[in-house]
Amino acid sequence: MRILLAEDDPLLGDGLQAGLRQLGFQVDWVRDGDAAAREMRAQPYAAAVLDLGLPRRDGMDVLADARRDGLKTPVLVLTARDAVPDRIRGLDVGADDYVVKPVDLHELAARLRALVRRAHGQPQDKLRCGTIVLDPAARGVECGGEPVTLSTREFDLLHALMLNAGRVLSREQLEQHLYSWGREVESNAIEVHIHHLRRKLGAEVIQTVRGVGYLLARDMPAA
Amino acid sequence: MTARAPSLQRRLLVGVIGLVVAVWLAMAAFTWFDVRHELDELLDSHLAQAAALLVAQQIDDLGDDHGIDAPSLHRYAPKVAFQVWHEGRLVLRSANAPSAWLAGEGSGFTSGFRTLQIDGTSWRVFATRGAERDVQVFVGEQIGSRADILLAVLRSMLMPMLLGLPLLAGVAAWGVRRGLKPLREMSDALAARDPRALQPVQLAGTPAEMMPMVDGLNALFGRIAALMDSERRFTADAAHELRTPIAAIRTQAQVALGEADGQRRRHALEATLAGCDRATRLVEQLLTLSRVEAGAPPAATDIDLAALARRTVAAIAPHALERRQQLEFEADVAVPLRADETLLGVLVRNLVDNATRYSPDGARVRVRVDQEQGRARLVVEDSGPGLDDADRARLGERFFRVLGTERAGSGLGWSIVQRIARTQGATVTTGRSAALGGLCVSVTWPPTR
Repeated sequence: MRILLAEDDPLLGDGLQAGLRQLGFQVDWVRDGDAAAREMRAQPYAAAVLDLGLPRRDGMDVLADARRDGLKTPVLVLTARDAVPDRIRGLDVGADDYVVKPVDLHELAARLRALVRRAHGQPQDKLRCGTIVLDPAARGVECGGEPVTLSTREFDLLHALMLNAGRVLSREQLEQHLYSWGREVESNAIEVHIHHLRRKLGAEVIQTVRGVGYLLARDMPAA
Repeated sequence: MTARAPSLQRRLLVGVIGLVVAVWLAMAAFTWFDVRHELDELLDSHLAQAAALLVAQQIDDLGDDHGIDAPSLHRYAPKVAFQVWHEGRLVLRSANAPSAWLAGEGSGFTSGFRTLQIDGTSWRVFATRGAERDVQVFVGEQIGSRADILLAVLRSMLMPMLLGLPLLAGVAAWGVRRGLKPLREMSDALAARDPRALQPVQLAGTPAEMMPMVDGLNALFGRIAALMDSERRFTADAAHELRTPIAAIRTQAQVALGEADGQRRRHALEATLAGCDRATRLVEQLLTLSRVEAGAPPAATDIDLAALARRTVAAIAPHALERRQQLEFEADVAVPLRADETLLGVLVRNLVDNATRYSPDGARVRVRVDQEQGRARLVVEDSGPGLDDADRARLGERFFRVLGTERAGSGLGWSIVQRIARTQGATVTTGRSAALGGLCVSVTWPPTR
């Protein structure tokens, strides 16, 4: 899952980026309000962590603008402003969650997963598709009741496909989901990961729409 | 608490009633003397007239051999007595007069008024002699009867007063109570106040005498409210500003815990330590600011600004050298200044520290102390990026930090510098350094007298 982190404090930003990476997120880090507004529009982030006291442009302003422009990216506000009126205003302006510093990394990760899940209309913590069950928190996958071992990229790819089950995702879209800035992506990386997933989960799970992209069929949730 | 003074109400009551009683007594004393004087005059003239009558009568009646006792004509007669002597013989007397010489034998008292003791009673006696024949007349009156008249006069005057006194006391007490009602209302209003409520006291119908007190009280409430407000803001700011460093420390520590890779783990641990250093510095700065804002009276002493700045530069130099910065100090002469040494030290340190902290590695920082027209001046210049006008305007706002500064700063140094400068009457100006190209800060103190 690729997320945008907007935080001006160097130490905290560095820590959040490293910590969220450990927990399986791809993190792009910006340090001011202008950059946050720009990047939110430029990339399809799964979610954004937004500090309010940002230089150049206040986070609240960035958020209000993004919502006005119809941007649906789930936003978690992470701020030192703990007063109740601030929280209310943050949520009203368009934040999906409001967390006061300091925050536990695992809690932050769980909240981000919940945001992404809800954004995809998924009420449960585990994603199900046929006999495949994906647990974003534990980063585990089962197929027909048997645990399947996936690499980080394979997991993220499957996660993206399952979140968007029933929709065709292009290779570029998948790359954007998988890789944060500064990561060199090989041209056939997605094909290789898809190949591995098909081998591990069964060839029929992921369908190729030639010339467009890949699709995970949204069938009835398996009981 | 010190011994409490008697209540205002009791003091007023005692004063009013005491004054009334004193006036009454003075009136009574005056009446006493006045009436007694008039009474003496009147009765003495009666004695003299009676004696004259007796003398005149004796001139005709002398030699008649009738009894010497005159008849008693009135029930008050025993209070008056007379004797008529002719050639050493008592010829006429009132029934109650003694047969002996009224004035006492050989006293030589033959004419005029005199007060005598006769048989244990005080008498007012008038004596006179016939002008042509040897007739000696004494007319006496008991002094006691005069006292009775006086007492009767005073009694009729004092009795209503005595009876009226309780009534007066009651009315005075009511009046005083009523007069002090605004005071009582105010104390009730104050007692019923929430201790945190600092809005001005407002009472309908406060008398003019109480207005200075109410105004003084309200002014005090205003000052306390401002002080508490500043404290509250400070606490809120402090709590707010400590959240980010603490969040950073926590996050970095958690990253270190979860990191298997040795180098990345080390990086996270170093970042944790840096976060601790920053939080420490922030707390120190907050405390300094709080102390300056608390407005403790500065302990002014005579200081050499040049020497103080030199010491400060020497203390910061090692940190500057670590970053290969060139830190220079210029001062030709001693610059005397009268100020609080501790605060002045904090001011100089913050300025020099800011200059080195926010200038890049290898930058030049120049500190100069001089005197211009009796004004002490401290100039700190650097070759750093400087500040644009918008950022310069916001300097000194609490926790304002210039964007793009990677260095850990609290954003409080400027607040501290400006606060201290204000307490010392010094002015702080910022601009672009002509020599070094970066920021130039100069602090100018008022001329020393």
